[in-house]
Amino acid sequence: MEVKLKIRRYDPESTDMVAHYQEFALQMDDAATVLDGLIQIREQVDGTLSLRCSCRAAICGSCAMKINGEAGLACNTKIIDVMPINGSPITIEPAGNMPVIKDLIVDFQSFWTKIKAVEPWLQPESKQPVAEYIAPEEDMIHLAGVVSCILCGACVSDCTVMEVDENFLGPAALAKAYRFTRDPRDASDDKRLSVLNEYGGVWDCTRCMKCVEVCPKGVDPMSRIMMLRERVMENGHNNTNGARHANAFFDSVKHSGWLDELKLPIKSFGIFNIKAMLGLIPLGIRAQLAGKRPPIFHKSIPGAKNVRKIFEKVENK
Amino acid sequence: MKYAFYPGCVSRGACPELYTATIEVCSILGIELDEKSLEGASCTGAGVLQEKNQRLGDTLNARTFAMAEASGLPLMTICSTCQGVMAQANERLLSDSDYLESINEDLLEEGLQYKGTIEPKHLLWVIAEDLGIEFLKSKIVRKLPGWKLAPFYGCYIVRPSKALGLDVNPDRKQALEQVIEAVGAEVVDFPGKTLCCGFPLLTINPKNSINMVANHTLDAKDRGADAMVTPCPLCHLNLDGYQPKASSVSNREIDLPIIHLPQLIGLALGIEPQKMRLNKHIVSTKKLLSELAVSP
Amino acid sequence: MIDHDILIIGAGLAGLRAALAAKENGVDVAVVSKVHPVRSHSNAAQGGINAALTDRGDDWRDHAYDTIKGSDFLGDQDAIEIMCKEAGTEVISMENMGAIFNRDEDGKLGTRNFGGQRQARTFFVADFTGQALLHVLYEQILKAGTRIYEEWFVLSLIVKSGKCCGAVMMDIKTGKIEVVRAKAVILATGGLGRVFEPSTNALICTGDGMSLAYRAGASLMDMEMVQYHPTTIKGSGVLLSEAARGEGAYLLNSENDRFMLKYAPEFKELASRDVVSRCEQTEIDEGRGIDGCVLLDLRHLGEKFISERLSQIRELAMDFANVDMVKEPVPVMPGMHYQMGGVKADINGETGLPGLYAAGEVACVSVHGGNRLGANSLLDTLVFGKRSGMHASDMVKAIQHTNIGDSEAKNDIENINKLLSNDIGESFGQVRMDMGKGMKTHLGVYRDQSSMEKALTLVENIKNRTGEVYVSDKTKTFNTNLLFSIELGFMAECAEAIAFSAIERKESRGAHTRTDMPNRDDANWLKHILFTKKDATHEISYKDVVITDWTPVERKY
Repeated sequence: MEVKLKIRRYDPESTDMVAHYQEFALQMDDAATVLDGLIQIREQVDGTLSLRCSCRAAICGSCAMKINGEAGLACNTKIIDVMPINGSPITIEPAGNMPVIKDLIVDFQSFWTKIKAVEPWLQPESKQPVAEYIAPEEDMIHLAGVVSCILCGACVSDCTVMEVDENFLGPAALAKAYRFTRDPRDASDDKRLSVLNEYGGVWDCTRCMKCVEVCPKGVDPMSRIMMLRERVMENGHNNTNGARHANAFFDSVKHSGWLDELKLPIKSFGIFNIKAMLGLIPLGIRAQLAGKRPPIFHKSIPGAKNVRKIFEKVENK
Repeated sequence: MKYAFYPGCVSRGACPELYTATIEVCSILGIELDEKSLEGASCTGAGVLQEKNQRLGDTLNARTFAMAEASGLPLMTICSTCQGVMAQANERLLSDSDYLESINEDLLEEGLQYKGTIEPKHLLWVIAEDLGIEFLKSKIVRKLPGWKLAPFYGCYIVRPSKALGLDVNPDRKQALEQVIEAVGAEVVDFPGKTLCCGFPLLTINPKNSINMVANHTLDAKDRGADAMVTPCPLCHLNLDGYQPKASSVSNREIDLPIIHLPQLIGLALGIEPQKMRLNKHIVSTKKLLSELAVSP
Repeated sequence: MIDHDILIIGAGLAGLRAALAAKENGVDVAVVSKVHPVRSHSNAAQGGINAALTDRGDDWRDHAYDTIKGSDFLGDQDAIEIMCKEAGTEVISMENMGAIFNRDEDGKLGTRNFGGQRQARTFFVADFTGQALLHVLYEQILKAGTRIYEEWFVLSLIVKSGKCCGAVMMDIKTGKIEVVRAKAVILATGGLGRVFEPSTNALICTGDGMSLAYRAGASLMDMEMVQYHPTTIKGSGVLLSEAARGEGAYLLNSENDRFMLKYAPEFKELASRDVVSRCEQTEIDEGRGIDGCVLLDLRHLGEKFISERLSQIRELAMDFANVDMVKEPVPVMPGMHYQMGGVKADINGETGLPGLYAAGEVACVSVHGGNRLGANSLLDTLVFGKRSGMHASDMVKAIQHTNIGDSEAKNDIENINKLLSNDIGESFGQVRMDMGKGMKTHLGVYRDQSSMEKALTLVENIKNRTGEVYVSDKTKTFNTNLLFSIELGFMAECAEAIAFSAIERKESRGAHTRTDMPNRDDANWLKHILFTKKDATHEISYKDVVITDWTPVERKY
């Protein structure tokens, strides 16, 4: 079949140093992958096309890039699955949120720094066992889901928070941090959770699920970040806006069955947070004038006590 | 067509215009809304409750599904976040029969059991799939030519694709554009249409939240959009409510009205803008509506 | 010029394990890798790692015998004894470092069956054991703060007065060439799969270390012993782990027969890999294949089991063979997978060239002899990576650097300039494809005199073309085009060693099966074949196999 690829090229040594798009037309097998196409170009058409790739089987993580605007591995993306119906070319661009070195090769420096920042090595009790640590089978099976992360960077490429804030640790590093808090052999939860509670940690995720969608190994980073939030709060860290927000939300639904939107921002920021309270005033005024201020007297839903009973039942589990 | 109506928390609180517009639009389109069957249904948890206890969220949503089942009606949502949270909960409940059984144990006392037959559907999909775009077109009395509209889906109605049935119903990925075109307007495509409005970060990291609003509204505006349309009231709250702040932070005038999906459809169906509270937005819709020769 | 006590080339399992051992032993270590460590091909190992743990009623001597028999008695028994004795320690050590090995109901390490072994002693992490172990070692390296020259390419080894004392390497990001002085160099560069087409190997497996060692004067050993893995996907060559058969999968021919029952009544699908590949090839050649393949059937294992233990290969089969193994059998065929041969090294990794060590797939100790058992490779990398690291670090404490300078880079710089100035002509891709297809055809599962002579002709032809390839990218930043052309030279040399060694061995043993000499000849050929550079050509020599307690017998499965 005929395949058209539109690839973002960038040569840092060119005189104008400007990125541009270059189109290639190829004849390929129906079963071909995007990587097959890129390799065909660099071997037969344009030897200067540069990209990272190695295993061709979705285990080394080298070939993460944006295909039609969404991150993925070139080696397990079939061309027929991404070929636009209207005959326009498949757009191939380097991974996002990282500086481009050349063509499809990006600088992973900040990615590795953030992975290192979560101390991604087992920190057991000082006394080592004689043989292996005894650990339950289901724990290891659960961890296999997170350990299958191949550090490809697709999640980081498309993370919507990292587009506005470089400080965010990011889905890969946080999922890796989760892996250690969830390992029964690791004994440094308190230290880890305390760090993850800070700016740049678990509370900075905007819950947009981009990382879940683009991960080629089903690691589900956002769910891991949410589970870390649960752990962080259980571990006693309840004085961040994020924890206050989650607790206020929880209390509201428990009490009345739905959200008291007026109280929610106040409780999240903390009523004694004068600066934040003052910051809410302009919004409050605008909302009032537009008739969008939620009711001051928050009424429960009919049968709210049934909701309360469910809270009690599940919390006691 | 009759549906068990799940309005969600925000349309009854900070976005009453969404609720009003929905009632008006459904009345004309012949979508009958049963509000009684789900009046005792709780909040979905919006993903925030799930941070504290995911099982609790699943139980509350299973309870809502059971109530819908008891009414014998399909369930309709009007908020991307409700839709997404429900779809994710449903996926977990339906993929593990042991899990569903244990959740049902906790619903027994109230006399509710979830049998697994509910597929929550957003108004957007009800119109695009159950009624059909052609049917919508047949009901339009006032086309909106010359209007350039940027779609903004809201994360929870586009990800994760499997839970939302997007692999099986790929047209859902273009449903909002289809509606925009059906009302005679022009779609302004832009990369941010499926990205995040920043609402979940509002109280946690307001700076990042506002920057997301600035990025997406400015990008749409720079591509020629007159307004943005969204099926999610939480996105609306951020994109509309925090637009003045975003404007001051980015040092640029934005002035991009944000319209709820039913408000857009309602205008095309001939409903008066005031009836749908289009005069009650933070970012004024006055200039946009003046092109309709109807004052807000 | 840069100085380090030990320079380790390659950041896969062997390289990182050596680095850890050397660092723990208190010397200055640097690791250089042409890709980021976690991209190393160790991550593609799927099935598991063997060890005989005494608390399971297992005996390392059983493991040793299975390995020796699996090697078709070409393995050196003293080295195999050491590997099997130290296996338990290595596996426990990896677990203590954080590896998430599978567990049994008591929470202790669980095992699965694997090829060529009479007892289940393969410890595993689902079906991505290599990736899991590689990441654990990478984490430990991060913790130890070891210096890594990430995305640097080694162009040549420096030899002065008969001693290896460093390397010339290029920073791939900038094209800058540096001379690195080292008191010891450990090669851990892995295999040479890309010499064949198709292959299960990654694109980076281009035999760099074997060629670098050969050019430096070290000997290559048993190069003819190239393993064809029985279950690879047609076309792409992607690997489907032996773990599938270890967990009970069947191999079927076009008549729906489990043909291994007739060839290997005792071990069946879990006979040693060379045996299974030969049987598959026979079935295919005799008309009982389907489109050049046989079928791997896992349907009877059930979806839940497959999702827990074999989920990666299920994804691979769906992505690359368009088949869901839960519902249908997967077409598979023998595919080039592993090089048993390599740089001759002893039990401490010493190659015979002072200052130069080798560990892992690049080395030939030999623990795998004529055929490697599945799950012994991960073991090999850890045991001999550690031993090389320890021995080298002890050795360097007592010596000084050699007196060399930046001029050592002169030849490499000239070679690069020559390549860059070649006329417009063939691309590296064309030459490699010709080499790969030709090597697979002439040195496949079955060979004979005529096919091997064709291989020699092919190699000659390839060698003439490698120096003339056109390099279109003239930049210094990340010039992959140039690097591929340099790798082509490495591969051509490896191909030459394989072809000459193959035609030299006048018998069939292990993976080297000659249809014109189908029997094993212990009387004359119970020895290793060495391929060593001599001036502008090479010389062949031999080394006796070390026999300790186990007398070679006929191999039956």
